[in-house]
Amino acid sequence: MLEDYHCNIENIRNFSIIAHIDHGKSTIADRLLEFTGTISEREKREQILDDMDLEREKGITIKSKAVRLYYHSKDGNEYILNLIDTPGHVDFSYEVSRSLAACEGALLVVDASQGVQAQTIANINLALKSNLKIIPIINKIDLTTANPDRVAKELQNISEIKEEEIILASAKEGIGTSDILEAIVNRIPSPKGSLHLPLRALIFDSVYNSYKGTIVYVKVVDGVIKPGMFIQAMSNDTKYEVAEVGIFRPKMQTIKKLTAGEVGYIIAGFKNIKDTHVGDTIIDASNPSRESLPGYKKVTPLVFCSIYPIDNKEYENLKIALEKLKLNDSSLFSEDETSEALGFGFRCGFLGLLHMEIIQERLEREYYINLIATTPSVMYQVTKKNGEMLKISNPSSFPSRNDIEKIEEPYVKVNIITPSKCIGAIMDLVQERRGIFKNMEYIDEKILKLDYHLPLNEIIIDFYDKLKSISSGYASLDYEIIGYQSSDLAKVDILVNHQLVDALSFIIYKDKAYTRARKIVEKLKEIIPRQMYEVPLQATIEGKIIARETIKALKKDVLAKCYGGDITRKRKLLEKQKAGKKRMKKIGKVEIPQEAFLGILKI
Amino acid sequence: MELGLYLHFPFCISKCPYCDFNSYQLKDDNQISSYISAFYQEITAYSQKLKKSNIKTIYLGGGTPTILSGVQIYNILEFCKDKFTIDKNAEITIEANPGTLDGEKIKILIESGINRLSLGAQSFNDLFLKKLGRIHNTQDIIDSYFLAREIGFSNINIDIMFALPGQTTEDFQATLKKAVSLKSDHLSLYNLTIKPGTEYYENYKSNILKLPSEDEEYDMYHWAIKFLKENSFEHYEIANFARPHKRSLHNLNYWQNQPYLGIGAGAYSFIRGYRYMNFKDPAKYIKEVMNDKLPIDHGEKLSLRNRMIETIILGLRIKDGVSYKKYKTRFGINLNDIFSKQIDKLVNLGLLKKDDCKIKLTNKGIFLANIVFREFVD
Ligand SMILES: Nc1nc2c(ncn2[C@@H]2O[C@H](COP(=O)(O)OP(=O)(O)O)[C@@H](O)[C@H]2O)c(=O)[nH]1
Ligand code: SF4
Ligand SMILES: [Mg+2]
Repeated sequence: MLEDYHCNIENIRNFSIIAHIDHGKSTIADRLLEFTGTISEREKREQILDDMDLEREKGITIKSKAVRLYYHSKDGNEYILNLIDTPGHVDFSYEVSRSLAACEGALLVVDASQGVQAQTIANINLALKSNLKIIPIINKIDLTTANPDRVAKELQNISEIKEEEIILASAKEGIGTSDILEAIVNRIPSPKGSLHLPLRALIFDSVYNSYKGTIVYVKVVDGVIKPGMFIQAMSNDTKYEVAEVGIFRPKMQTIKKLTAGEVGYIIAGFKNIKDTHVGDTIIDASNPSRESLPGYKKVTPLVFCSIYPIDNKEYENLKIALEKLKLNDSSLFSEDETSEALGFGFRCGFLGLLHMEIIQERLEREYYINLIATTPSVMYQVTKKNGEMLKISNPSSFPSRNDIEKIEEPYVKVNIITPSKCIGAIMDLVQERRGIFKNMEYIDEKILKLDYHLPLNEIIIDFYDKLKSISSGYASLDYEIIGYQSSDLAKVDILVNHQLVDALSFIIYKDKAYTRARKIVEKLKEIIPRQMYEVPLQATIEGKIIARETIKALKKDVLAKCYGGDITRKRKLLEKQKAGKKRMKKIGKVEIPQEAFLGILKI
Repeated sequence: MELGLYLHFPFCISKCPYCDFNSYQLKDDNQISSYISAFYQEITAYSQKLKKSNIKTIYLGGGTPTILSGVQIYNILEFCKDKFTIDKNAEITIEANPGTLDGEKIKILIESGINRLSLGAQSFNDLFLKKLGRIHNTQDIIDSYFLAREIGFSNINIDIMFALPGQTTEDFQATLKKAVSLKSDHLSLYNLTIKPGTEYYENYKSNILKLPSEDEEYDMYHWAIKFLKENSFEHYEIANFARPHKRSLHNLNYWQNQPYLGIGAGAYSFIRGYRYMNFKDPAKYIKEVMNDKLPIDHGEKLSLRNRMIETIILGLRIKDGVSYKKYKTRFGINLNDIFSKQIDKLVNLGLLKKDDCKIKLTNKGIFLANIVFREFVD
């Protein structure tokens, strides 16, 4: 059978699909799977690789996936094509880069109507850094708004891509699929390793499965890996016996061995996530190779927030849930934290806001834990007067103003691609976010590329949404960290009923502190239900009150009338209200709904 | 078994925009006659089962029961007397909308054995009556009231609503003063609540209904309690005020969580621990009954725990509160053994008063009764 068949390394092609979000990666992947018979008609469903529930809903791909296709080329030979699907959102460019490390080529997909976007450029740069052969594809040529000529020009303007390399496709209508497959075979080089050298396999992902334990995705560079062999990760001495190796079609399928050039998975009873670091090299324990493969930089989370269970009894469950999520997602960071207001919880680090939202949703939906998440923050660098330097992401652990010599915040280089007519609105937005203009370039006569330096803090919450709305969805964004710069920042504390709610503290550029504090106390007044007594709300900087509001006492809460029949219905209503109160966090004497913590996020 | 009997008449001359009762605008008189036929049939169905029960109170509610002719009402009550055992001193109340009463009808009502009249006045301000979609004006209330008194009703209740859209505390005070000047035996005071499915609800959602603030509602209610006390009304239930010996016995039966049978579309019953409701739609109700079925839409057997909780919630609505002794007799368990945690907490909050024989709401607790009730539910 095909599954047991191994062709030699010259007939293997490993490739990724990279694109700006929604340009059609997943749909193109579907077409390739269908064309090569990897999925039968019956198994077809849209965007087959996005099998996580959340992914379907949000319409984005979170985890990269690897699938093996068998392709009978026009040159008469049989090829193994390993397709690695990658996420498209700016938060996940780390995942993109590690998928690319397992490849020799990449399909670059660009929407025929939207054209080049910020991520397109970022992806091209990533691919070039990994020395990949790029196959440019202009997708969605079926759209009436498609303008492939314009897009082709844009591509040539921003890169070395040549016109004759570009493939026109419509993943929706299946146009271009066979051209793409031929280009993969003919243009992408075969992997470079050797079957006869000692084993070296690159870990490019790992997932945790409750039946099988940790499953490690690898690209075998040299040698062979098969069940019964003892292996270890190069950075680590723990040895494991390989229990199973296999490939994805797209479901997991056991095979007898994985040889040089192939992409697949290994199950070896890995106990510890540290033993299967993404980027590490797996070697034969009895015949270790000396040289590790080039790995990846460890990711640094950019956005931080604290996560607490509403019900303190859920703490252990939350802890376990986070551990499990971290197995699947090495870019997620978490450590223990205690809040005076919220009790035991975790400080978590994320690649970006979307990543944060996805993790929070998975905790609530897959693990059924009701959470409170604090306002996201970045990592500040604080130099104290005594010379001590601190890295602080949590406002509540900020030293007192008097002890601080200077505070620095992370800056990013932001690259915005936009229709030129939106430039005015974008400049206003960036200005308001303390942006510094760096450069402007025309991609074609109607499309601009803008470079700015901005504090990361100013873009993590709603910058992307705002950018999209002022450009009617056309502008796109990509960013990378460039370093720290000192800023005039202040910590604002929120007091509810004279009690500091540490989880509501935030760091902000001083000039903006007053306006934001005002909005927050107003919002809290709206969200926190009246209590039996007056509840003052205050925002303070260093103990000085900068904004205040008062929630008036609840004076009347009584069912107007209640006769016989009503009582069971009313009792059920009261039960429901009571359950709602259980979802509130009691701080001092005051019950604060979950929305209070979420609500101020959106200000 | 002692039993309250509730008879529901789901028709009105027009539908008020705030009303979420089971009531429908009457389209033609045939609706009433076929409804009454079904009504008889439902009564007959229960008569065997409940023959031995002693009916202490009857309440004809709606809708607008007085939309029926005097004779129709008379016949229904005669039929009830024939099919059930009705206490000879039974309190028999009818709800009436001013404007649906005349001397002839009032006479027949009295002849039918009805001894208590509940007038749906709602306001003594023509402007607000109009906004409420009521078919009567202030003069109609006054006329109906005195006519009923003259012909022989010695027990009359007046329903008043407050916290109406656009109503100020002064507006409400004027209404209540006029109501009190009639010297009725009983007053019910209802805070307007905006219920889903009503015209008011839609207006409220689209922000065209300006309601008094919570503080204004408080002021109105607070003032009313004081004012009515000064006028020798006893505030014996959260929304109800009575002259001495004029408490509504039928409603007390509800608040004591005692059994009752409801006849008619959408009527509730509470019998032998079952609480259930008839089909609301009159057509559906009629159809079920005519097919010889009990027209029950849904219901449940209440658990002991839920009966215990409901008994507290209802009982606390009454001034007398919940007596330990009655509770123990009824459930065989001491109230304080089971709910001591809740009781102590509420006493500490100043919402509940506890003495040697009962618990009851404090003055503050009356205004914040929902907090108290929520504490007792699961
Ligand atoms: N009209 C048209 N729509 C397409 C085509 N390819 C993808 N789409 C649609 O574009 C949207 C985004 O596609 P998807 O494959 O999820 O993009 P991804 O985010 O890059 O993975 C989906 O609604 C697809 O149905 C195409 O060739 N033509
Ligand atoms: S008269 Fe009474 S029952 Fe009829 S619609 Fe008006 S409020 Fe409702
Ligand atoms: Mg996708």
